[in-house]
Amino acid sequence: MIETFRALQSQLEDRPHLLRLGRLFSETVLIEVEGQEVYLTFDKGHLVAIAEGPSRKTPWRFALRTDADALRQFWQSRPAPGFHDIFGLVKIGHGRIDGDILCLVKNLRFFKEVMALARAEGGAA
Amino acid sequence: MSIEPIIGQYVTVTVAGAPRRIYFESAGQGRPILCLHTAGADTRQWRHLMNDAEITAQNRLIAFDMPWHGKSLPPEGFQTEEYLLTTGSYIETVLAVVDALGLDRPVLAGCSMGGRIALQLAALHGARFSGFIAIEASDFQPAWYDIDWFHRPDAHGGEMGAALVSANISPFAPEAERWNTLWMFMQTGPGVFRGDLSFYTRDDSLIGRLGQIDTGQTPVHLIVGAYDLTCTPEDAKRTADAIHGATLTVMDELGHFPMSEHPEGFRPFFLDALAQMPARKSKAA
Repeated sequence: MIETFRALQSQLEDRPHLLRLGRLFSETVLIEVEGQEVYLTFDKGHLVAIAEGPSRKTPWRFALRTDADALRQFWQSRPAPGFHDIFGLVKIGHGRIDGDILCLVKNLRFFKEVMALARAEGGAA
Repeated sequence: MSIEPIIGQYVTVTVAGAPRRIYFESAGQGRPILCLHTAGADTRQWRHLMNDAEITAQNRLIAFDMPWHGKSLPPEGFQTEEYLLTTGSYIETVLAVVDALGLDRPVLAGCSMGGRIALQLAALHGARFSGFIAIEASDFQPAWYDIDWFHRPDAHGGEMGAALVSANISPFAPEAERWNTLWMFMQTGPGVFRGDLSFYTRDDSLIGRLGQIDTGQTPVHLIVGAYDLTCTPEDAKRTADAIHGATLTVMDELGHFPMSEHPEGFRPFFLDALAQMPARKSKAA
């Protein structure tokens, strides 16, 4: 998983439209997959740090918690129904979103498209 | 260069005792098919079917923008009014348009909230129509989000709405049509998507009325996309099961806006639905 986020970090730098969409987004997001924590720190849309947990000292704005198989399916180029969107994961019982959800919603297109960068064909979230 | 056959016009109707200037489009000739757009969108969702010569050879497709949507203005005084769509005002608007356009027992095709109101009309005013195509329609779904997110002074409701409803678009949808579909949500007026969702996520009055629908008089066909998170195939099946004689088709590769997000993928399902509706001569039968 950490390798995927590192790849995603460099892909983001090649997407000027995403950096523009995320220009007001400077937050830390927790991704937790079956207890494995990854903290993604964004600064003005750039993914500037990827830190593995566990950590009790790292503040985060919102968290996406899911399981490894669901995340693997989410990153397919054409995911099955429910696995095609982060809210889909929640709806089908494979995900949970915690924290400042309004912050997520205000930056929803940016965050979903960043997460979807890891898809084989870079499909939209 | 090609000029599309869709004709756009305006008609003024009365809803809740006040005038509403309604924008509507039509194309084709023959059996009238009145098409209702989803929440937070407008008539443009239907343009692909309205430009389909095979469909319009025997069907007259008519679509209109609900007040507050697209090119239909809100009523006078909207600036101090909280827009909240209700079952009553929605029904009154649809019937007013049917009357104003002189439509004789049209087939009613509606998607999402349009499908919901189509089923309400099937229960309450079935004789005014010849059949119902309810797309991404179900009895009721409470919101899995906070509808107030979409009307705030500190954020763009249209952009947030588009980002949220993108969850309902299939990954099989062509990229261009995915974004054309989302653009309509980005363009909605302030508070309009929220007001539509108020109707869609808070009014559960259809549940108790499904048993009143007489499919012997007017057939009801439901269509649902597997990628629809809002109205899932399970939601549509539960609804179809509660309507004696209703039929249901699940579209494996489509989402919540099938006629807009993936026109080619939706076309055969819409043709199949039209084939299940009475032909024009049925009125005299």
